[in-house]
Amino acid sequence: MAIALTYTEQELVSLLRNRDNKAYAYLYDNYASALYSIILQIVSDGELTNDVLQEVFVNIWRRIEQYDATKGRLFTWMMNIARNAAIDTLRSRSYQNSRKNQSIGENVDTIRVTDVIQPGVDTIGLRKVLEKLKEEQRILIELAYFKGYTHEEIAELEKLPLGTVKTRIRNALIQLRGLLK
Amino acid sequence: MNIQEYISSGIVESYVLGLADEAERLEFEQMCARHAEVLAARDAFEMDLEQHAIASAVAPPASLRETILQQLAAEPVAANREVAPVVEQEKVVQMEVTSRPAIPLFMRYAAAAAIILLVASAGLNFYYFTKYREFSQAYDRLLAQQAVLAKNSAVLQTKLSTYEHTVAGLTDTNMVAIKMNGTSAPASPDRSSLATVYWDTRSKDVYLMVNNLPQPETGKQYQLWAIVDNVPVDAGMLDMANGHVMVKMKNIPRAQLFAITLEQAGGSPTPKGPMYVLGKV
Repeated sequence: MAIALTYTEQELVSLLRNRDNKAYAYLYDNYASALYSIILQIVSDGELTNDVLQEVFVNIWRRIEQYDATKGRLFTWMMNIARNAAIDTLRSRSYQNSRKNQSIGENVDTIRVTDVIQPGVDTIGLRKVLEKLKEEQRILIELAYFKGYTHEEIAELEKLPLGTVKTRIRNALIQLRGLLK
Repeated sequence: MNIQEYISSGIVESYVLGLADEAERLEFEQMCARHAEVLAARDAFEMDLEQHAIASAVAPPASLRETILQQLAAEPVAANREVAPVVEQEKVVQMEVTSRPAIPLFMRYAAAAAIILLVASAGLNFYYFTKYREFSQAYDRLLAQQAVLAKNSAVLQTKLSTYEHTVAGLTDTNMVAIKMNGTSAPASPDRSSLATVYWDTRSKDVYLMVNNLPQPETGKQYQLWAIVDNVPVDAGMLDMANGHVMVKMKNIPRAQLFAITLEQAGGSPTPKGPMYVLGKV
C-alpha cells in the first residue's frame, strides 16, 4: 500500500468495471473516508455507518456498469449511492422503531430541528456548513438532503406551499455552494 | 431565462446533490448536452463538493477495509454484467415463476429404476472386475509353477536317459571297460583316483565314467587322452558337473592306453599337466 498509484478517472472506471481488486482497494483508500463521513452525517451511528459503507462498496461493485460519465463525476455518483443507502437504512430503522411505539408516523408534523439533527455529527461536512444557514433554510436542507424527503412531503410536513419549499431549498443550495468555496 | 440565470438558479447544486425531481433532471441533462457553460458549472460544483467531502472525511475503523475488500473479492462477477439501465434506487426484481411441464408418473418410475439399475450395474462391474483380477493373478501363478515343473521334468528326463544310457553301456557285451587308477600313473597327485573308460568295440565310441577324481581348482580341467603308438591323442574334456555317469567322449579307433591329466580349462593339444590315472586297454 506504500506505492501511491494514481489513475485518471476514466482508467479507474474501466478497471472497476473489470472488477479489478486493486482498483477497488485504490477506491477504498482514496474515497472510503469521504463516503464514511457522508453516511455518518445521515445515520449518525458508527456501527450502522460501517454496515452502510460496506453496502455502498458492494453497490458500487454491482452497479459500476450503470455509472454514466456524461452525467457527472465518479465521486458524485458514489456520493449519491452513499446518501441513498444511508437514507434507506435510516428509514428502515425508524420504520422498525415506529412499529414499537407508533410515534413517527402519527407525530410526523411535530418534527423539530432538534429531533432531526443528531448530536455530534453537526461539526462535519455539509452539516457544518449548514450551521451557517438561517434556521428556516437549514431545516429544509435537513429534510431534503439528510432525510431524503421529496419537496411535496416537506411542503406537507412544514405546512408550506410547494413553490415556497422549492424556492427556499434552491436559495439555501446557492448559499451552501458559496460557503463550500 | 438565459443560461447564466439558469446556472445560478440552484439547479446545478440541486441536480448534483440528488435533490432535483425527474423533470428537472432530464431538463438539466439536456442543458448540459447543449450548453458548455452549464456543463462547466456542474463540473465546478462537483469538484468543490468532492474536495469539501475529502477535506471533511472521517476515517472508518481500520478493520473495515479488509472486511469490505474481502467481501468484494467474494462477489460473483459474471452475473453482474447484465444489469438494468440506470435506476436511481435499487428496485426489487420479481423473479418470474416458470412452471415446468409435469413429468408422467411412469417416466419418473422408469427414471428411478434406470438409476437403480445403473448403480447396481456399477456395483457388479466392480465386483466382477475384482474377481477377474484375482483369477488372472492366480492363473499367472499357476502358469509360472507349470513352467518350473516342466523344466524340472525335462532335467529329470535328461538325467534318466543318461542313466539309462550308462546302464545300457555297462550291460552291453560289446563294451570294453578299461579301469584307470592312480596307482598305474607314474606320479599321480592322488593315488586313490579312479576312472573307467568304456570303449565300444564296434563303433569305437569312447565313454568315460569318473569313479573318483579330486575336484579340480578353478581354471583347470581334466582331459582324457588315448595313447596311440606312444603318442597321446586328445579324447575330450571332462566336465565334472555330470557326476558318476557315462559321458560320451571322442571316437577313438585305436589305442593302447588311456590316461587323464589335469590341464588348463579348455584343454591342451598335448598333455602338459600331471597325470592322475592311467589304464591299459
